[in-house]
Amino acid sequence: MKDRLAIELKDVSVSYLHNKKGIHSLKDFFTKGDLISPFEKKVVLEDVNLRVFEGQSMGILGRNGEGKSTLLRTIAGIMKPDKGICEVHVEISPLLALGVGLELELTGIENIKIYLALSNCYSSATIKSKIDEIAAFSELSLEQLKLPIKMYSTGMLSRLAFSTVMATEPKLLMIDEVLAVGDKGFQEKCKKKIHEMKQCGVTILFVSHNPDEVLEICERGICLKEGRIVCDGSAQQAVDEYNKLFV
Amino acid sequence: MHNMTLPNRQLIYFLVYKNLQLKYKHSMLGFMWSFLHPFFYLLIFNFVFSKAFSQIEHYSLFVISGLIFWVYFSGSCNSLSQTFIRNAQLIKSLNVNKILYALSEQGAELFGFLSGFILFLILMIYLGMPLQWNILWIIPIILLFSIFCLALGLILASLNVFFRDIGILWNTLNPALFYLSPIAYSIDIIPLEYRLYFKLNPIYHFLFVIRNVLYEGISPSFIHLVYCTVITTITLLLGVLIYRKTNNGFISNL
Repeated sequence: MKDRLAIELKDVSVSYLHNKKGIHSLKDFFTKGDLISPFEKKVVLEDVNLRVFEGQSMGILGRNGEGKSTLLRTIAGIMKPDKGICEVHVEISPLLALGVGLELELTGIENIKIYLALSNCYSSATIKSKIDEIAAFSELSLEQLKLPIKMYSTGMLSRLAFSTVMATEPKLLMIDEVLAVGDKGFQEKCKKKIHEMKQCGVTILFVSHNPDEVLEICERGICLKEGRIVCDGSAQQAVDEYNKLFV
Repeated sequence: MHNMTLPNRQLIYFLVYKNLQLKYKHSMLGFMWSFLHPFFYLLIFNFVFSKAFSQIEHYSLFVISGLIFWVYFSGSCNSLSQTFIRNAQLIKSLNVNKILYALSEQGAELFGFLSGFILFLILMIYLGMPLQWNILWIIPIILLFSIFCLALGLILASLNVFFRDIGILWNTLNPALFYLSPIAYSIDIIPLEYRLYFKLNPIYHFLFVIRNVLYEGISPSFIHLVYCTVITTITLLLGVLIYRKTNNGFISNL
């Protein structure tokens, strides 16, 4: 399966519309800003070329704010590139990032239901079995799942998010630094699950600041610097490049 | 694969459910508020204005027929203006057509409105509403009015992402628009030379056809129905245009 393209990015540039001089209100707009273009573009990714094959697992390394999350969002189709082509040939799953996509006022179960609905899973029988599956994997009790998730700890939130995304059976798994907050037992469990998914041919994009984790999970790695890919090779090469950033 | 839009009924249903849950989560009376809120207003207006506007026959019925639609309108615009901000987390993690968040917000508002409307129908019959087949005209009028609210809400919601004071500004102008709309009074008290300006208010035309049906018990004036349709179409086109122009920039400003 490794010869089939899963993701292909050609000369992709992505930018944020950035408020000039911190304009957030109309008052600022009239007093500080120039009236014609209150927004300026801040380029986050520049001319990124990337080909990921089905079943590959790739680590994405780089300092804070160098475009790792933006890269994932672009691949997930949440952000549109300004130029270049981004093609994804596998089914896209929700992005797995901390605190993202959860409604704090609602209970765990309600959040799961919305998430499943957003990932095209509707029949009530499936939803019921998925909830059991999620409860079992996350080790959250039914009582805890019936609480509004604003009462959850960070670790519980990441358990819920990880288990829910796993239950949607993604073909492309994008993980953005969620493993860091779970306790040791759950981290091990997640890594085991990720390895299982690798066996099944799931494509994995893994953002982490922990080089050991990247080496453990990924065979391939890229390193981002100022919105460009400065290293694309084996996981070990990317980790070496990443470590060089901090010398 | 990349533009996975999901124009899915089920998804809208789930999001509507979510919005309703959030809206009434911490209130004991829950859905009853969609009845009680306009009802308290009715009591106040009845107390304050019924003597002043004694020339209006069945004053309570006159007020309530306009008031419930006003509450629906201002409630919709208010919650729609916040919809993208409130769903920021979902928008940032899922590739779903963002217009669905606005649609589901309006759906939740419509649901609340209708559940209150049924109770008001009973009250209005008690207050002397003529019960005739003409009343069925209210169904297409509600539909048209809902689309108008959605369209205006979409404009507010899209702009509010970039300038948060759009929402605040709207809340400030809201009472002014209320008193400029003939809800508690009839347009007959406005001097003729100013009446044209009052007719520039889109709400006026909707109130006209609503009162035709609910207050006078006749079929709605054709020309006002045309006005309403034209207003709704223009607002909707404008709303979709503004949304299209702005929605790619949402993520960077949420």
